[in-house]
Formats: sequence, structure tokens, C-alpha cells
Amino acid sequence: MKKYISILFLITITLIIIFSINLEFGKPINLEFANHYLNKGIEETGAMNLVASVYLDYRAYDTLIETVILFMAVYGITFFLRREK
Amino acid sequence: MNPLHISILLFFIGLYGVINKNNLIKKIIGLTIINGSTVLFFISISYSEGGIAPIFSKDISRESVQAMVNPVPQALMLTAIVIGVSVTALALALIVKIYEKYKTLDIQQLLKGR
Amino acid sequence: MVLLSSYGEKNKMKSSNIIKTIAQKLFPFILLFGIYLILHGHLSPGGGFQGGVVLGTAVILLFLSYGIEETERKVKIKYLSIIEVSIILFFIFIGVFGMLTANFFLKNFLPLGRTGQILSGGFMPLLNFVIGIKVAAGIFGIFYILFKYRGEI
Repeated sequence: MKKYISILFLITITLIIIFSINLEFGKPINLEFANHYLNKGIEETGAMNLVASVYLDYRAYDTLIETVILFMAVYGITFFLRREK
Repeated sequence: MNPLHISILLFFIGLYGVINKNNLIKKIIGLTIINGSTVLFFISISYSEGGIAPIFSKDISRESVQAMVNPVPQALMLTAIVIGVSVTALALALIVKIYEKYKTLDIQQLLKGR
Repeated sequence: MVLLSSYGEKNKMKSSNIIKTIAQKLFPFILLFGIYLILHGHLSPGGGFQGGVVLGTAVILLFLSYGIEETERKVKIKYLSIIEVSIILFFIFIGVFGMLTANFFLKNFLPLGRTGQILSGGFMPLLNFVIGIKVAAGIFGIFYILFKYRGEI
């Protein structure tokens, strides 16, 4: 019983969201940062890979916090699977 | 049917897996599917028609910077993939401890026996 | 892949000789490819995350094919946590160093160099290296702890 109600609910919500998306595929909006990173990227950072220049030079703070998240995952697993003899 | 619609469909398939399946590992697989659908949504937002990858090389010169796609969501999704891996690994460690204590992985039996 | 596990003893996996030989011969090439991906992270698709995963997978291949007791004697495990913590502190130290010599935290303070060479782009190769080691240690650490857990399963 719960199964059929949930399937019906999910299909309804899927159709509502799909038909109310206003974004066209291939025509992006809000390109202010993208234009700055594409035009000035190679002379401000000197890297040929512009994606790397985004996550290593312009937004390196997010990469720092992401390495801390990886460390916390390893520590969490150590904490749960510890074997005290 | 463009990738935006497919990513929403994938999201709700993953949500169906989290809600309706009784095994704990199948719920974790549903979470991974939701993660994948979010990554697909973000990198398909950044596409512009006839675009090439934002990487310079010997063949791609400085003038073709007008045809390049948006590099910002791609850089954000690198972090999102790693976070998904961390969450899946931690959830699987919890599942190992649950199985060791209760000897079952069925959510209905776990809720009854509490 | 045929992994023959010897029954009767927990966590003791022995592989056939084909697997052991192929893994041993392939290990330097996988390591080389991972280091190539990390070094050329700012010139071609790749970078710290991708190269780190390849490096971590290379060590996991050795562990899976040789069994855990034999590989533990060759690859020292106790340096894993020391490496992980000190790499994060090194990253923060690079950021603070950038703040001291220039304007803000994590500012690019090394010289830019000629575009197209490996030593270009300021501290981007250095950060790629740091991230590569961190991701490799993380992936390998997750696998190692999940494998060595001897519970009553």
C-alpha cells in the first residue's frame, strides 16, 4: 500500500518539475564569472587548463576544505571500526 | 529529452530506491544515484551550443575562447564527487557495525526489534 | 579474476601466480601514469583528484593480489596517518605563507613562468601534488581499515 502511494507521488512530482523547468539546454544564463575566468584566466594564472585554474587558484579555499572532509571520513571510519583487544 | 530532464528522472529513481527498498545497502545505492544525478545536472547547465572544452593546447589557440563552455560548475563538481565517496564510505562502515550487532540488514526487522 | 581463498582462516586470501606476477609487473606503470596525471594537471585534463585516485588504486592492487600479511611487511602502514595529517598542515602553511608575503590567504605567490611548461602557474603544481597525495592516502586508508576489521561477522 505504501509502495503504490509513494510511486504515484514520485511520478507526479517528476512530471511537475520536468514541465516547469524554464531553462533551455544549450543557452546558459548568468555568465559573468565564466566570461571573466575564460578571458583573463590564462594571463592571471598561467595555466592552460582553465578548470584547474578555477579550483586551484581562484577558489582554492573550497579545495582546502574538501581535503579536510576526506580526512574526516577516514577518521570516522577508523572510529567506528576500531578493534580493542 | 535533454540531460536536464534525465537528471531529474535519475534523481527520483534514486529517491524511489531510498524510500521503497527494504535492504539497507539498496538504500545506500539510492543515495549514490542521487549524487550522480546532481553532478549531471550541474555540468549540463554549463553547456552552450557548439562549445568546446575550456582547455588550451597546441591545436586550440587563444582566439577560440569565445566557443568555450563555462568552467565553474565542472570545478565545483570535482569536489562534489569526492564528498559523495566519503559519505558512501562512512555509511558502509556504519552498516558493518549494524550487521555485527543485529545480524540483519532488513529495515522492517530493525524497526520492530528496537 | 580468480582469487582463491583458503577456507578455515579468516582474512587470509591467496591468489594464483598469474595474478601475482601481472600485478607486480604492472605496478610501476600504473604509478607512472598516476604521477603523470598529477604533474600535468594544469596543462591537460587531469589534476590532483584524478591522479590521486590512480595512485591509491595501484597500492590497492598490490594489497589485493598479495594478501595483507605479506604486503604489510613491505609497505609501512604506520606512516599513513602521519602523512595524512602533515599534508593538510602543509596546505594550510602554503596559504598562510601566501598571506604573509602578499595580500590574502592562498594568494599565488610563486612566479608565473612561461605558459605551457610544467613549472608554470605559480603554486598550482605544488597544490596538485598535495591533493594527489591526500586523495591517494584517503582512498587507500578507507580500503585498509575496511579490510583489516576482524569482527564477528
